[in-house]
Amino acid sequence: MILKEYKYELGKIERGYNNRSLYINIGDYTIKEKEVTQFMKDKFIGGKGFGLWYLWNAVTPETKWNDPENEIVIAHGPIGGITQYPGAGKSLVVTLSPLTHMPMDSNVGGFFGPYLKFSGFDALELQGKAEKDVIIYIDGNKGIVQIMESDIEEKDSHLISEILTERFAKDEEDKLNVSVVSTGSAADHTLVGLLNFSFYDLRRKAVRLKQAGRGGIGTVFRDKKIKALVVRFEGTKGNLNNPADQGKINRTGIKLHKEICDLDDKQNRMRKIGTANIIEVMDQYDLLPTHNYKYGSHKDTYKISSDKFQARVTQGLPDGCWYGCSLSCAKAADDFIPETGPYKGQKVIVDGPEYENAAGLGSNIGVFDRDGVLELNFYCDTYGVDTISYGTLTAFIMECYENGILDKEKTGGLELYFGNKEAALELLHQMARGEGFGKIAGLGIRRMKEIFIKEYGADPDFLNDIGMEQKGLEFSEYLSKESLAQQGGYGLTNKGPQHDEAWLIFMDMVNNQIPTFEDKAEALHYFPMFRTWFGLMGLCKLPWNDIAPEDNKYTDEPAKIPEHVQNYVDIFNGVTGKNIDKHELIRQSERVYNFQRIFNIRMGYGKRIHDRIPYRAMGPVTEEEYLSRQERYDKQLKELVGFDPEGKTTQEKMAALRKYREEQYERLTDAVYKRRGWTMDGVPTIEKLKELGMDLPELIEVVKKHL
Amino acid sequence: MIKVNGQEFPWEEGMTVRRLLELKKYAYPRITVKINGEFVRDEEFNTKVIHDGDEVQCIHLMAGG
Amino acid sequence: MKVLRKKPELCIACHACENTCSKLYFKEENPEKACLRIKETDSHPQITTCTQCGVCIDICPVEAIKRDKNGIVRISNKKKCVGCFMCVGFCPELAMFMHEDYIEPFKCVSCGQCVKVCPTGAIYISEE
Repeated sequence: MILKEYKYELGKIERGYNNRSLYINIGDYTIKEKEVTQFMKDKFIGGKGFGLWYLWNAVTPETKWNDPENEIVIAHGPIGGITQYPGAGKSLVVTLSPLTHMPMDSNVGGFFGPYLKFSGFDALELQGKAEKDVIIYIDGNKGIVQIMESDIEEKDSHLISEILTERFAKDEEDKLNVSVVSTGSAADHTLVGLLNFSFYDLRRKAVRLKQAGRGGIGTVFRDKKIKALVVRFEGTKGNLNNPADQGKINRTGIKLHKEICDLDDKQNRMRKIGTANIIEVMDQYDLLPTHNYKYGSHKDTYKISSDKFQARVTQGLPDGCWYGCSLSCAKAADDFIPETGPYKGQKVIVDGPEYENAAGLGSNIGVFDRDGVLELNFYCDTYGVDTISYGTLTAFIMECYENGILDKEKTGGLELYFGNKEAALELLHQMARGEGFGKIAGLGIRRMKEIFIKEYGADPDFLNDIGMEQKGLEFSEYLSKESLAQQGGYGLTNKGPQHDEAWLIFMDMVNNQIPTFEDKAEALHYFPMFRTWFGLMGLCKLPWNDIAPEDNKYTDEPAKIPEHVQNYVDIFNGVTGKNIDKHELIRQSERVYNFQRIFNIRMGYGKRIHDRIPYRAMGPVTEEEYLSRQERYDKQLKELVGFDPEGKTTQEKMAALRKYREEQYERLTDAVYKRRGWTMDGVPTIEKLKELGMDLPELIEVVKKHL
Repeated sequence: MIKVNGQEFPWEEGMTVRRLLELKKYAYPRITVKINGEFVRDEEFNTKVIHDGDEVQCIHLMAGG
Repeated sequence: MKVLRKKPELCIACHACENTCSKLYFKEENPEKACLRIKETDSHPQITTCTQCGVCIDICPVEAIKRDKNGIVRISNKKKCVGCFMCVGFCPELAMFMHEDYIEPFKCVSCGQCVKVCPTGAIYISEE
C-alpha cells in the first residue's frame, strides 16, 4: 500500500552535480527537493561532506541516535557514477552512531548511489520514524518517489534484496537496473547493525551485497522502521555526468584498466582474491591480529591463507561493485552450504571474504577454519552485523572468558574460548534472534565493559586495557601495537579506530620511513586528508594504491602513488571542468575533516581525552604477550628507554615499557595536533578555519567555547 | 655492519640483496631496494652485492586496508 | 570463421585500409576511427587487428559483447553498453578502440572491406 507518492521533474546532471537533493521524512511523509547550493559545493564538495552538512543542520547537540531528528544521509560525489575509472560507484552514508553518539560516516559500493544520482539527486536525507515498516521506492526514469507499507516478512538482507529486486525489475535483464538498501534481523537487536547495498550479478543471476559496515547505521535504519530503500534506473551510459572533458576521463580510465590487466597478477592479485591477499603477509611480519590483538602470528594461519580462499571463490567473473571497476575485488564463494542457523543446508553466495573478515572472523578469534570464516561472513552480512565489530567484540568476549570474567553460566552455556567456532556462530545467531548472551554482545565493547564491571565485578583497568574500542567503536583488524604511527592512525581519527584515514604500519615499522614525531605527524596529516577525499567523491580507495604503475617504485614518494594522484586530479577536472591541483585536493578534504572534528566537539566529544587508546593497541598488557616478544621488548627497553632489563621481573619491565609508550603517544598527539592546526586539546583554531575558508559562524560558535 | 632501514644489521662476506631479504625475512614481493641512495632493479637482486658499511633501504609497497 | 590476418612486412603504410573502414562505419576518413590500426615504426609498420579471440566477452560487466553464429565477436547490443571501456584495456591485441566522439567502443567484425583496398596483401581474410 502506497502511503505517499511524490512526482518530480527529471533533470540533467551538470558536470557531476544534479544540484538538488531529496528529503524524505518517514514520520510525517514529507517528501521534498532541496537545492544543492554553490556554498555546499565549494565547502563540502559532495559525499560525506554533504552528509555531514545535512546532519549538522538536522540535529542539535542533544539529539540522540534514536531520536526522530537523527538522519541517515546517503550521498555520492561529483565523480560518482562515471563508468570508466575503477572504483567510481561508492556512496557515503552518514548518521549519528548508536556506538559513538557522534557522526559516523561509512563508505559502500553497490549500485544504489549512482542510480540515485542518475535519478536526479546528489543526496538522500531520511529523517523521522515510521510507525510500521516502510519501503521507499525511487523510480528514476518516471520521476516518482513512493513511501510504501512493507509487506515483506523476511528479515534478512540476502532474501529482502532478492525479493525486492525481483519485484521492481521489469524482467531478468532489468534486474541490473535495480538496487536495494537493506539490513538484517540483527539490526533490530544490536547496536552494530550495518547497511547492505545491492547490485545484480548478471552471470551468477543473483543479487550481491556490499556493506556500509561501521558504526551501527543499520541499527538506526531499523530504529526508523525502514525495511528497505529501492531505486530503479534504466539507461546507464558513460556520459550521464555530462562531464567537461569526456575524452580525458575515458583515456584515464583505459590507462588504469591496462595497468590492472598487465600488473595485478604480480602485484596484489585483487582480481583473483581481493583484499584477502595480505593474510599470510601480515602473519609473516607478525602483524596479523591474533587472539584479541595479543599476538601477530599463529602456527595455523596457513589454514586461512589467501590461497585457501582463492580456491573457494569463483574466478574469472567481472566482480566489480560498480561498472568499470577492473580491480574487480568483490569476490564471492558460490554454492556455499552453511552448517548452522536458519539457512543451514541451503546453497548461498558468500560475498567475501575481505581481509577484515579473514582476520576478524579468523585469527583474531582463533578460528583458523576457512569454511568457518565463510559461514560467519555470510551470516554477518545477511543478519546485518558489522563483521569488524563482531570480530573485535567476540575476541574481547573470548579473552574475558579465558580469564574467568565470563563463564558458562554468564554466557548461557556458550563456551566462548578462542577458536570455538560453534560458540562464535551461535553467538551470532543469538544476536539475530535478540536472545541470550547475544543481546549483551550486540551492545558492543564499550557497554559490555560497563556491564562486566558493574555486574560481574571485573577489574576495570584490565577491561579498559584489553577492550579494543575507542570513541565507542571497535578497532578494525590491524595490529597497531608496534607502530606508533598506526596508533595515531587509529586513535587520532574523527569517527573512531577505522583504518580508512591512515594505514601506516609498514611505512613506519618495517620501512622506517617516518622515524621522527614530525615525520609521523606529516604522514598523519597527508594520508588522512588524501584518503578523506575519496569520501567526498564517491570513490573507492583500492584503485589508488592496491595497484601501482610499474615505475612507481622509482619515484620520490612511492607510498603516495604520484601518477594515480594525478589521475584523480585529471578526472575531477575532467568531470567538473574545474582546475584543481593535488594541493587543492588536500584542502578540499581539510575543510570537511575539520568540520567533522568540530561536529564531534559540538556533540560533546572530539577532544584530546577522547583520542586516548586502550593499552592493548600500544603494547603488551599481559605477561604472555611480553614474553612472546621478549627479545624485541628487552632490546627496546635498553636502547630507547634507557632501562636495563637485566635482572628485572617481567612486571617491572612491562611497567617501564608502558610508561615509555604512553608518553610516546602523548608526544605524537602533540605533534599531530600542531601539524593539523589544532590546540593541544585537539580543537581546530580560528586561524586554521580562516586559512581554510571554513570560518563559518556556526563553527566559530562551537570552537570558541573550547579555545 | 650495515644499516637496513636505519637500523644496524650484521654484514656477511658476499651478501647479495637476495640474501639480505632472506635474512631479514622480507618475503613480501612488492619491495624496492636502494643501496646508498641508488635503486637496485628487481632483476639484479640475486647478483647485486652489498658491502660492509652500506646503507640499505628496503621499502615495502604495502597498500594495506 | 572469417578472421582478419596480417603480414606486416608487406605493409607500405598507405592507410587506405583505415580510411575505408572509418568511412564505412563512421562516415569520415579518420584512422582514429578505424577498427584496425597501422603504426609506422623504424622498421616495417605495425598492424593491429582483432583476432576474434573473445577475451572481451568475459570482461564485459553487462554481457554486451557476444560471439555471433559465424564466430565473430561483436558488441551485440550497443544500448546495453555502459561505456566502461574495460574491454579496451583488457584486449590482448589492443584491438578494441575508443574515440572520444563515442561513448561505446568499436571493433573489427571481419567485414573484409579493408582487404579490398590493400595494395600489397598485407592484410587478408583467413577462413579458420
